Amino acid sequence: MAAIERGDRQRRDDAAAAGSLLAAALALPGVLPATAHAQAAPDKGIFELQYLSYRDWQPGRDRMKVDAPAFYALVPLSDTWVVEGGMVYDAMSGASPLYFNVLSGASVGDYRTAGDIKVTKYFGDYAVSVGAFVSSEQDFLSRGASVNVQLYSEDRNRTWTLGMAGTNDRINAINGVAPNSSRNSLEFLVGVTQALSPNDIVQSNLTYYTGHGYYSDPYKPLDTRPTTRETWAWLTRYNHYFEDADATLRLGYRLLFDSFGSDMNTFEVAWVQALPWGLTVTPGLRFSTQTAADFWKNPPFPRGYREGQDYTADTRLASWGAITAGVIVGKTLWDGWNLSLRADYYRQDPDWQIFGTGSPGIQTFSARWLQVNVTKDF
Amino acid sequence: MPMQRIRRTFRAMAAEHTVELAAVDPAQVHAAAQAAIDDVLRIEAKFSRYRDDSVVTAINRAAGATAVAIDAETAALLRYADQCHALSGGAFDITSGVLRRAWDFRRTPASLPDPATLAAAVALVGWDEVEWSERAIRLPRAGMEIDFGGIGKEYAADRMATICLDRGLRHGLVNLGGDVRALGPQPDGSPWRVGIRHPRVPGAAIGGFDLAEGALATSGDYERFIEVDGKRYCHILDPRTGMPVAHWQSVSVAAPLCVAAGSCATMAMLLGPDAAPFLAAQGVRWLGVSADGAIQGT
Repeated sequence: MAAIERGDRQRRDDAAAAGSLLAAALALPGVLPATAHAQAAPDKGIFELQYLSYRDWQPGRDRMKVDAPAFYALVPLSDTWVVEGGMVYDAMSGASPLYFNVLSGASVGDYRTAGDIKVTKYFGDYAVSVGAFVSSEQDFLSRGASVNVQLYSEDRNRTWTLGMAGTNDRINAINGVAPNSSRNSLEFLVGVTQALSPNDIVQSNLTYYTGHGYYSDPYKPLDTRPTTRETWAWLTRYNHYFEDADATLRLGYRLLFDSFGSDMNTFEVAWVQALPWGLTVTPGLRFSTQTAADFWKNPPFPRGYREGQDYTADTRLASWGAITAGVIVGKTLWDGWNLSLRADYYRQDPDWQIFGTGSPGIQTFSARWLQVNVTKDF
Repeated sequence: MPMQRIRRTFRAMAAEHTVELAAVDPAQVHAAAQAAIDDVLRIEAKFSRYRDDSVVTAINRAAGATAVAIDAETAALLRYADQCHALSGGAFDITSGVLRRAWDFRRTPASLPDPATLAAAVALVGWDEVEWSERAIRLPRAGMEIDFGGIGKEYAADRMATICLDRGLRHGLVNLGGDVRALGPQPDGSPWRVGIRHPRVPGAAIGGFDLAEGALATSGDYERFIEVDGKRYCHILDPRTGMPVAHWQSVSVAAPLCVAAGSCATMAMLLGPDAAPFLAAQGVRWLGVSADGAIQGT
């Protein structure tokens, strides 16, 4: 966003320097009909290669490793048609997610292949996208489809987004728990993005998810979760570009209500600093805090378990707070090539729950991501 | 079906204006005319320096004191005025209205301002010194003033055209006190014939432009002036000297937007002998009558 705005300002300055009073006058509001400008489809293609390395651990124990190469491409087919798609291949190894000090049933040594494709048609004041995705593992198959509509205001300062997606998941755990299980879900999104000034942009999205089927973790003994789930998520972001510093401040807040009872607040802040030689440095910090699911039981395992009642000892549904600290360094190379490196460190701790008490007896959990991206515009 | 053709005359900004529109649906024509006129009245109320509650009055009243918060439209006009100032090398300056305190074009018998009064007024001119951003403006010294003369009326004319175009009209001509913007040709497809007033012979024309779309604006020394010892002193004052310009009797400029045409014409008057290369660089068609009555232009 900030880069685009700087570009506009630069073009205006160039026009003024060349002596064009008319170009300056065209910047006045309402002197020409806005309907003359239709929302343009992207006129440039993008090709992207990414490599992600993920590790997580708990005190004294290394756990999951994931190495994932990925590929993404966006190709304009004409002035109004755009197709985009991606593929990712994950190789996972290590222990399956741990709960307290007990190792779960099966060790994970698995591969995942996932892909998606989306086609967008731009019609002047609105655009419609249709997409499909699939993700396949040895014991898990997920397939889905989505429709999105974007509506642009006459002055292009506001965009409304309406979206809907449906997903079907098939679960066939290799340990024979819950054979041929499945779940189906629907997701609805309504969002608005508004440019408040050339330097300020605000976005707000509301997402509703509803699903039914098998939500338990087949590799965790006794894990029994409700067969329906609903969530409401409200996400608000605000970006401000500081001209003097040539930097953008990004703020974000997300509130999630989950029918499982595990509600989450997330606060995010990042600073995108442009530097000479086409460098950008983006330090960021995120804090999340969540309450435990209604059917979460504190350790020791399996205290609180009752036959026929919902139960989990998965720490992902416990009460805790978590901090993610990271930095992205980007560099514009030649001929539309860009390179970016990203490192993130994550730590989850029950003592960091700020809207209540953290779950007693669970261990801290740490993870790190390293990511390399190479993109080419053509 | 014949086109419904209407002509409405209205008063705003202390002058008489007309708008001519044509379309098949009479209701559409009347509604567009009314919406366009309402917008002119809105702009007058917001930016007139004669209104007690206008943005411009609030800014001027706070001169030498506090900054005044402004909205995006005001900021856009200031940005445009700033660009006019830069392009004219400081000749076009929206803080030059204070010079009117030294020059009285109504007093009889007419007389020139005394040098001390004029020097004091010139000292209060200076867009360079104004502190402004997209959100606020502060005039640094008490007594300083801004006004949108040379921009505001022309901006209103362009917006009138846009409002009519947005309502689906394709034939019409907006005339705000002699600054004209066409939103499309006459109903029969022929251009509007816009005459240019003779600067010395009321009611006579010295030429004309055919306008199917775009704008024509004129700046002249005949709108307000005094004569002292047989010499004419007009209301267009050079902000650097405080003295009236004398090189041109009038300059008319045709450009796609009325606001560009109007500010070009005013700048040409201020630039005097340098006007021709300036107008050539702007790529506009123009017609000027110099002090000796000779006609120049493209």
